[in-house]
Amino acid sequence: MDSLSRTEKIRYSRHLLLPEIGIAGQEKLKQAKVLIIGAGGLGSPSSLYLAAAGIGTLGIVDFDLIDATNLQRQVLYDTDAVGKSKVQMAKERLSRLNPEITIRMHDQRFSASTAKELIAAYDIVIDGTDNFSTRYLVNDACVLMNKPNVYGSIFRFEGQSSVFSYAGGPCYRCLFPEPPEGDAIPNCAEGGVLGVIAGIIGCIQANECIKIICSIGKTLKGRLLLFDSLAMSFDELKIDRNPKCPVCGNLPTITELRDQDEICASQNQPGAPTATTNSNRVSTTKESTVMKEITAIELKKELSSGKELVVLDVRTPPEVALGRLESCVHIPLQELNQRLDELDKEKDIVVYCKSGGRSRRAIEVLQNHGFKHLRNLTGGITAWSFEVDPSIVVG
Amino acid sequence: MKIHIPSPLRSYTKNESIVESHGSSVRELLQNLDHAYPGIRFRMIDEQDGIRQHIRIFVERNQVTDLSMPLKGNELVHIICALSGG
Repeated sequence: MDSLSRTEKIRYSRHLLLPEIGIAGQEKLKQAKVLIIGAGGLGSPSSLYLAAAGIGTLGIVDFDLIDATNLQRQVLYDTDAVGKSKVQMAKERLSRLNPEITIRMHDQRFSASTAKELIAAYDIVIDGTDNFSTRYLVNDACVLMNKPNVYGSIFRFEGQSSVFSYAGGPCYRCLFPEPPEGDAIPNCAEGGVLGVIAGIIGCIQANECIKIICSIGKTLKGRLLLFDSLAMSFDELKIDRNPKCPVCGNLPTITELRDQDEICASQNQPGAPTATTNSNRVSTTKESTVMKEITAIELKKELSSGKELVVLDVRTPPEVALGRLESCVHIPLQELNQRLDELDKEKDIVVYCKSGGRSRRAIEVLQNHGFKHLRNLTGGITAWSFEVDPSIVVG
Repeated sequence: MKIHIPSPLRSYTKNESIVESHGSSVRELLQNLDHAYPGIRFRMIDEQDGIRQHIRIFVERNQVTDLSMPLKGNELVHIICALSGG
């Protein structure tokens, strides 16, 4: 086992004074290899504290660039880092914080094809993902590779944390067997999140990680921690391992990793929408209903020509308050079923949301109620802001 | 009894995080909850009368697997929802 240098003994002296950690525990931390998947709201505090704590090897996986909307909670990054690589900036920041440790950058999307190889080189995984697709992939990979998965998730003023796939305990799929369909659950890019929540839950993840490495205390294995910042309350629920779990159960049906196709927050970045000039473009919904699409530039042309059409915004009121298309009709997706009489079935309707996901769901609702002249704004108001009117702020 | 409502469903409960309802079983409790907050049950229960896969219900901190589970009337109920944010 690596012994601690004099410099390290000074740096970690407050740990060394704790009988539960001491020199033996600090040496375990130095030996440990921890992989943080997602260098965002959760990955920022967890990586900062794990680096400061002296985790010997810290791996960071992310493919994204830093966006101005990240800065409210992703405390790894400074304002002048906007537009730069997250893992590169994370490495620079964490290396300055603690030059005694090794930081490995994995500037890539966490995908089924690379997950096993990536995780194999680490002892523990921190789930700092921001979308269900990657979250389920992290879980499945950890179960298949028998690695502890320190879980955290956040939304608005609420957070959850647990330790999955550890010492015979349950996994994430034991709790939630399958991800929600489509837009059943909004993400933080749609519903918002208090930045501090990411800090609190990310720190809880770092705490659980250190406990696992040092074999101290009682981890969150088999317990789901709920945090409500408005009530300022912590609560916990009991989670049992599910013998019928599709990945860790007695007869697992998931034995290989697969990427799940879904709308995720990481697809909602500025610049993501791709402009095209094909006005006959169609897309297919989950129910295989043909759906017409229109690009932001095409919509701009139609509006400028005076063509009579209704532009329907199905986002939430706080999103609309930030910026909207002029003279749009606003009906939040959740209220659409109850407010159909506000729309004329005979008119051409272009539906938009932030990036095109909820508007597709809205079109399905309208189609089911006999509306026929419907088009989806490809890339939503994000595309409109990017391609037509940069003055519109998209949250 | 007191029911904890997760953030994604609070638009039905006028943003209340804890609401009161009653029922002799979890199924009846959810029906009564839906009378008070129309539409909320469908967000939790699918067309086959099963709990949606991204929603879990806990009574006295233990997971409910059967909607016919009887209730005494003074239990603490948590409804939780999978959260994607990070």
